[in-house]
Amino acid sequence: MTHQHSRRLRTFWISSGAVGLLVALGTGQAWLENTAAAQARTSVQAPRFEVDPLWPKPLPNHWILGSAIGVAVDADDHIWIIHRSSATLGNNEKTLETKQGECCAGAPPVLEFDQAGNLLRHWGGPGDGYEWPDSNHGIFIDYKGNVWIGGNGGPDSQVLKFTKDGKFLLQVGKKGARQKAGAQAGQGEGAQTGFAGGSNDEVSFGRVAKIFVDPRANEAYFADGYLNKRVAVVDADTGKMKRWWGAYGNKPDDTPLPPYDPDAKPAQQFYNPVHCADMSVDRLLYVCDRVGDRLQVFTPEGKFVKEAFYAKRTKNAGSVWDIAFSKDPQQKYIFMADGVNEKVHVIDRQTLRELTSFGDGGRQPGSFYGVHSIAIDSRGNVYTTETYEGKRVQRFVSKGVGSVSADQGVLWPRSAR
Amino acid sequence: MLSAPGLSAHDIPHDVTVQAFLKPEGQRLRLLVRVPLKSIMDVEFPRRDHDYVDLARVDTALNAAARAYVANQIDLYEDGSPMPPPRLVSTRISLESDRSFTSYEAALAHVMAPPLPQSETLFWEQGLLDVLFEYSIRSDRSRFSIDARFDRLAQRVVTALRFLPPEGVSRAFELEGDTGLVRLDPRWHQAALRFVNLGFFHILNGADHLLFLCCLVIPFRRLRALVPIVTAFTVAHSITLLAAAYGYAPDALWFPPLVETLIAASILYMALENILVSHAGGLDRRWVVAFAFGLVHGFGFSFGLQHTLQFAGSHLLTSLLSFNIGVEIGQLLVLCLLVPALDGLFRFVVAERRAIVVVSAIVAHTAWHWMADRYAVLRQYPWPTVTAAGLASVTRWLMLILVLVGAHLVWRARAKNWSSSALPH
Repeated sequence: MTHQHSRRLRTFWISSGAVGLLVALGTGQAWLENTAAAQARTSVQAPRFEVDPLWPKPLPNHWILGSAIGVAVDADDHIWIIHRSSATLGNNEKTLETKQGECCAGAPPVLEFDQAGNLLRHWGGPGDGYEWPDSNHGIFIDYKGNVWIGGNGGPDSQVLKFTKDGKFLLQVGKKGARQKAGAQAGQGEGAQTGFAGGSNDEVSFGRVAKIFVDPRANEAYFADGYLNKRVAVVDADTGKMKRWWGAYGNKPDDTPLPPYDPDAKPAQQFYNPVHCADMSVDRLLYVCDRVGDRLQVFTPEGKFVKEAFYAKRTKNAGSVWDIAFSKDPQQKYIFMADGVNEKVHVIDRQTLRELTSFGDGGRQPGSFYGVHSIAIDSRGNVYTTETYEGKRVQRFVSKGVGSVSADQGVLWPRSAR
Repeated sequence: MLSAPGLSAHDIPHDVTVQAFLKPEGQRLRLLVRVPLKSIMDVEFPRRDHDYVDLARVDTALNAAARAYVANQIDLYEDGSPMPPPRLVSTRISLESDRSFTSYEAALAHVMAPPLPQSETLFWEQGLLDVLFEYSIRSDRSRFSIDARFDRLAQRVVTALRFLPPEGVSRAFELEGDTGLVRLDPRWHQAALRFVNLGFFHILNGADHLLFLCCLVIPFRRLRALVPIVTAFTVAHSITLLAAAYGYAPDALWFPPLVETLIAASILYMALENILVSHAGGLDRRWVVAFAFGLVHGFGFSFGLQHTLQFAGSHLLTSLLSFNIGVEIGQLLVLCLLVPALDGLFRFVVAERRAIVVVSAIVAHTAWHWMADRYAVLRQYPWPTVTAAGLASVTRWLMLILVLVGAHLVWRARAKNWSSSALPH
């Protein structure tokens, strides 16, 4: 009888405990649902990503990257980068190259990776028939599979076109064209004495940062650049100049501007550098005025359409470094690299309103140090390269559109919701 | 250290993708294929300045390439019989940025459209060869098979093939290298046979699954003891395999390395339990452990199956169950060999307990290294962010588990009462 009683008592307590736990879980679950709903109300719908810390695979031959200042994706979804190799490696980073140790050596400047992160082709550097830039800058793969390269070294006034195997096809502009004895140093990054802007030159350029080729018109748009203050458009086969313009579609003027002041009236000319020029599917050209913290939108003919500012109080090297469009047919989103605030801003392309951002300063996967260039593959995965001492390429795997907070911080891998 | 341009160019491309459409219509089957020109090594395309393709003189070379690199590399079968050689309808060169092959209609219109202007500047290796072939067929309702041997085009070749039968259900295949005969619309028994085969060889080739099985059964070498353990393992891995195939597994990057790490951990656990628990009576809950780890192994099986489900045609469930049957046949074969071998070992070579400890220790050592290696990969992926929505989901699952456990306990208590009340007083 006593045994049966104690059994019943034990059963009672276990049952009560289980029911209590169930009630507690139910209450907790309801509270969590409410919290989640509240979080959803303060969040926005935007593309989501996870950093892929295992991409790309290690380079062969003890190669390492220098400042990585360009990334592009070709029709095969291969990822191309350009970096500054040994020129930006410290002596402690390249002892193999200087024969003082076993590691490492600067990789060739142009590298092609497949989706698995394998290094495929690699080439670049001076050769016959063309003038390789003193400081590589920007890479673009056009609709015929040709590779375009700019440069922002002191005398770089030229743009080069190669095949994917590195066979030289075309040089537009003449290296050293901007040299002018006694000229004062201009403004912005890489400013040097002895060079003067020539934003109305019909032949050569002034340190071109990035290239875009419009397949419909077979025209190449140059973000020109670190010394000039214009967008220049040339025939993509011959390199013959077709047109150019400055901020707001004005005739460009190389007169130095006062330092960027976020509270002042927007400058009527571009600051240096004009850092990107990319065309959307509806044929609008988006131009990065990096130090001016603004994106200006033009028609292909150079008629100003609209502009927007991002992280407007950013001084120093500015917030609008490079852009890439999302891969949906309407290109609903713009992804903007910001190498000062170490973020990628995600922008609604129609309204130019920033929806969210991801990234933060640091050297871990998903964080940035001088995030400089950005590109997207056909699956919506985002690729970034980092300049200065960042010296790397990263992949952010697309996880579809979903609810995200305004500032997502570093994108760790997470479960798909 | 700079290298001269072009030094690293490969004679044979590293990887290429071939795109193809296959559409039977009435008495005619159309085959549309797109191959990158860089894969076509033995055909000389006429060139002009800068090695641009001379589009005015390229047709002969294109036709030769189409026959040698496409038609001669494909065998098509109608109801199991080889089809006669096709008729070459059209060839053309396209720019690599061309997106016409996203749909059959667009691809067909593109191949039949006027060629690129002769003034176009296209470096010969950066173009695409588009081809349209037509085969005569008896009926568009026949069962078609394809054997595409595109593996010579590159070191790695992926063929993205879309089959468009008249019923309107398009089937997409992603074939790697030379995959042999592919039945585009298999009957259920053909799909079943293929997946039984796959399951059988998957378990035999999976060292980790075999080691787990070995640890599971070392102390149990009698049929009666083995049945609940093997059944629990089978049921569990079937559940997660089916769940994964129907899209209920997480698609996060960290999930595969997590599963691989847990599989190694499961082997380690089993081996340690064999060492530390000295008699079979102490292992009478092994079926529970087998069930729990079976859930993990099922996800592991699903990774191996991911790229082969395309061969299931319209028989997904049949194929999954067949894969499981193949796995079971493989397991039974292993057990049939392993159990007598262990019996013989314990009877004639070394005492049972000592042998169990030694064998399990070796397995534990191997599993430890696997686990460490796989964990090293997994730890590259930090843990997911905890969110309210995620916690709410976990809470829901906990409530469900609690209810199920409660129901099980109530049922067990009732069953016990019934059985005791049925006894004669």
